[in-house]
Amino acid sequence: MARLDTGEEFGPWLARQLKLAGKTQAELAQELELTRAAISAWITGRSTPRPTVMADIAKALGTDVGTVHTRTTDTQAGLPITWYHRPGYPDGGRDLGNAAAFAFDADVQVLARETCQNSLDERLTENGRPVRVRYTLHELTGEALAAFREAILWNDLFPHYSAVSESAGNQKVGRVVDAGVRDMYEKGRLVLLRVDDYNASGLIGDDYADGKFAAVVRRQLESLKSGPVAGGSYGLGKATLWATSALGLVLINSTLSVPHEGRTQRRVIGRLELPWREVGGESYAGPAWFGRPDPDSPGARVARSWWADEETVARLHLTRESDEPGTSFLIVGAHDVASLEEDGSGADDESMDDGDTRDISRMHKRLVKALGRDFWAAMTGGGSRLPLLEVSVRALRNGQVVVPEQKVDPSAEQPARTRALRAHYEGATVDRLLEAGQVAARGVPLKLPLSGGARGTLGTHQAVLLVTDLANDAENGDGAQNQVHSLRGNRMTVKTAGVPNLPLGTNPFQAVLLVGEAAGEAAPFAKEAEEFLRAAEPPEHDRWGQTDELTLRWSPSAYRRINALTTEVNSAVRELVARPKRGASEGGVALRKALTVKTKPKAKAPSGPVVPVLDGLDATVGDDGEWQITAEVSIPRGDEIVPMVPVAQLDVRSGGRPTLDWAELVAVEGCEVEDGVLRFAPGTRRAKFRGRTDVTSHPVRTMLTRLVLELRAGKGE
Amino acid sequence: MKIYPYKRLNRPVVLRVTSVSLKLSDGTRDQLETTAYSTQQQTVALGIAGHTDWVSATIGLSATLPPGANAPDAAWSDLRVLAVLTDRETNVRTSADLTRDAEDGRDWSGSLEVLRDDHVGRASLAVYAVGTVDGVRGRSIAETDRSWLVDTVSDEPVRGLQLDVQKASFRKSSREWLQAYADAPWIVDTSARVPTVFVNTDVEGVIGLLDSNGSGVDSKVRDLLVAQMSTDVWTAVFHGAIGDLEVEPGGGPVFPTDWQGEVLREMLPDVLPGVQVEEALRQVHRRRTGESGWVELQTRIHYAAVRRADATKALAYVIRSLEQMNRESET
Repeated sequence: MARLDTGEEFGPWLARQLKLAGKTQAELAQELELTRAAISAWITGRSTPRPTVMADIAKALGTDVGTVHTRTTDTQAGLPITWYHRPGYPDGGRDLGNAAAFAFDADVQVLARETCQNSLDERLTENGRPVRVRYTLHELTGEALAAFREAILWNDLFPHYSAVSESAGNQKVGRVVDAGVRDMYEKGRLVLLRVDDYNASGLIGDDYADGKFAAVVRRQLESLKSGPVAGGSYGLGKATLWATSALGLVLINSTLSVPHEGRTQRRVIGRLELPWREVGGESYAGPAWFGRPDPDSPGARVARSWWADEETVARLHLTRESDEPGTSFLIVGAHDVASLEEDGSGADDESMDDGDTRDISRMHKRLVKALGRDFWAAMTGGGSRLPLLEVSVRALRNGQVVVPEQKVDPSAEQPARTRALRAHYEGATVDRLLEAGQVAARGVPLKLPLSGGARGTLGTHQAVLLVTDLANDAENGDGAQNQVHSLRGNRMTVKTAGVPNLPLGTNPFQAVLLVGEAAGEAAPFAKEAEEFLRAAEPPEHDRWGQTDELTLRWSPSAYRRINALTTEVNSAVRELVARPKRGASEGGVALRKALTVKTKPKAKAPSGPVVPVLDGLDATVGDDGEWQITAEVSIPRGDEIVPMVPVAQLDVRSGGRPTLDWAELVAVEGCEVEDGVLRFAPGTRRAKFRGRTDVTSHPVRTMLTRLVLELRAGKGE
Repeated sequence: MKIYPYKRLNRPVVLRVTSVSLKLSDGTRDQLETTAYSTQQQTVALGIAGHTDWVSATIGLSATLPPGANAPDAAWSDLRVLAVLTDRETNVRTSADLTRDAEDGRDWSGSLEVLRDDHVGRASLAVYAVGTVDGVRGRSIAETDRSWLVDTVSDEPVRGLQLDVQKASFRKSSREWLQAYADAPWIVDTSARVPTVFVNTDVEGVIGLLDSNGSGVDSKVRDLLVAQMSTDVWTAVFHGAIGDLEVEPGGGPVFPTDWQGEVLREMLPDVLPGVQVEEALRQVHRRRTGESGWVELQTRIHYAAVRRADATKALAYVIRSLEQMNRESET
């Protein structure tokens, strides 16, 4: 009966409550006037207490009966949620920042890449559904900001931030944190960037022992990825979370796919990354954790994750939309320094928004762009394949929508490539491109070396190359043309490279290279190729080449196999999109090139009289069928201006144009008319004149003509 | 500036070629690869497949009208979209009706048949959106702003006109007229469809030098030779073009349309800088046919040819590598 509508098993729950409250089983037994064996039986799950005893237990733990019955949260007994700052090293060592975080600048695009890759790696594969990732930019001001600061115990943190700010001048991390705190106070706002994933494994495992939770929250440079196809391998990705926070603060709420302590929902913890500091006479090593003090730790000071109730989670802006497993990361004080670089060229922008690194609309735009660029393939399905990933981005201010939730659509972000991949999945590719919009597929060999430095080839993996020309201009989007996107099993774009040596006039195209498990289960040596390429990826996951791992596991020259693949790919692309070179052209290439009529920069105009040009023309047909024109002339700077003759002609398809006579030609401003010639005073820059044609000189009805007006120098014949 | 006496669309029609196929004399069809056309250069090269016996070509087209073409309050009715192929040399115009892809859409598509016998070289392909305006049928509402080129001969879809280069033994050539120039290393013929440079294979080593693609002094000398040849060629084609102008009823010259027009448009700004090409053509024509000024213009024409031939650069490279050679032999 006690099991109805309950969260956790009674036994483990009670054990933890006792620990939190600092009570022993014997003490509880005494309070309840029961034997120790009875308590022990509850904790090991051999029996459950009677309903009447439940009330006594609640009393003993200082909570209400409901909590004991539902057990969805911990009792508030024991030690309250707090910040635990790691004490300074006894040897006096100082860490002035997290080295892993230095590898990245605050760049939401890098964050998008790393977090999305993590979510892809942690996807629950059994149900075949995609992992859903949602980015929420939330700007807090006024009361909402005050409430949030209270929820994270800002007053306890503030002395630490002040201490860091004081020594900011000589540390990189210190300066960033100092700027972050000042921005919050001066502008009265705080940007939260939340990354949620659903249908992912969540932060499972013990608080301290090996497991995903400890890998993310407690350790650095540890990667515990779920499979051989995984994108990440260095454990650096999580550092981007802290790097994106100007305050070095990230809060986490995870729903677990595998229960821990009998529970799955609302496992919450926060982690702060600050440099070494001295507060109140004590020195602190750097990191700090936000959680419930662990009674098992020395002095019960270390903060561990706790199972929060819904209200706490809401106050921390960590509410998850469903009970699907996955993790929410809340980056407090998100900023995007890299966005400044992007509009470095537009000097106009700078004056408009003063280079704000915390503009949520701009971050929204940059996130959508980066996600489309790096993950279009993972978001694309077709044939029997479902997409692996669904991503959306939204922006809020104090709970009000600023930019509505936008699902990143691969066919909008990368139309040509998405079309190519879909055609591949649906088996609709062709061997040669015969019509615009077709997708050509080609096998490209990757010869895998033997591991351990042995000479020779393990086998040849067949990668799949897809090439399609851009069916129309819109398909290009704003990206570069003629690029090959390379991907492996996790279908994140690893490498983007142009194809060199394309002949002039090659039709714009986009290409996709599927290697390893992305090439399909049937491809030979897919697993081995996958492993090989994963080892060849640097921490940035943006190319394949020489790495330490490649050297250690294969040989120092193993990367040449990748170069050979690139060469094969480029020549296959050229073969598909460029016409074959036909018979040697007579007279040599150099001469043929010299004899091509092509536009050269024009010679400089000599000094002397300047020639006015027609700048604007307004013409209507008058009541008598004559053309009435008003024309504007612009004149280059010059002392002497050539007199010009306006000539009205009728446009024809071929042959000479019939000229119309003027019935009237009148100067309006900036010029004089003399015998049909326009004369300009020296120094004039603009002029205007009016005219009417002589109907009797019209060869056809005016309504059926097209008028051409020209200014001619000299006599105008 | 051009003005129409009725309302039109301001923006141009966008035209794309989507496929090209050839009909051969034996009745079979050869669907060419998309490399037969270049969307960047807006050029179709029908000679690419190397067929000598094709009869006609079918060019698949897709056109997008500018916004507003389907506006319910538009000044036109009975909208039609036509692809028009114009060959100014043979004076042939071929047109084809395109059909709307979707009801109320702005995309139209269709295909155009190009008969080989109708053309000798390059024809231009444009799309017109026409309708009935104020009761007048077939008025143009919008056009493409840059025509596609359909080249029935070329094997490369490049827009820039390439002058022809041929090698021949002047003494033994079947072109008997070449024998008169047996002692010249090269000669320019501007009377052909495209100006052609004949290189005399009787001059030993000339072909070898032109074909060389090393990077030593050889290549520098080759570049100098190429510069010398192309100066000759550009001078000859300019005179060829200016000497053969059609004249308007009023006496002014008409801008030629084929290679002559392209050559003039390219060179006139260097011959008479700071003047619009139409005006420059009138001035040059006046000087050539009038009493004075033609002799003075020769320097300008020579200058324009030298610039086009990159003679200065070629000369500088030769001198530099000669100096280098001298220094090396000294040490």
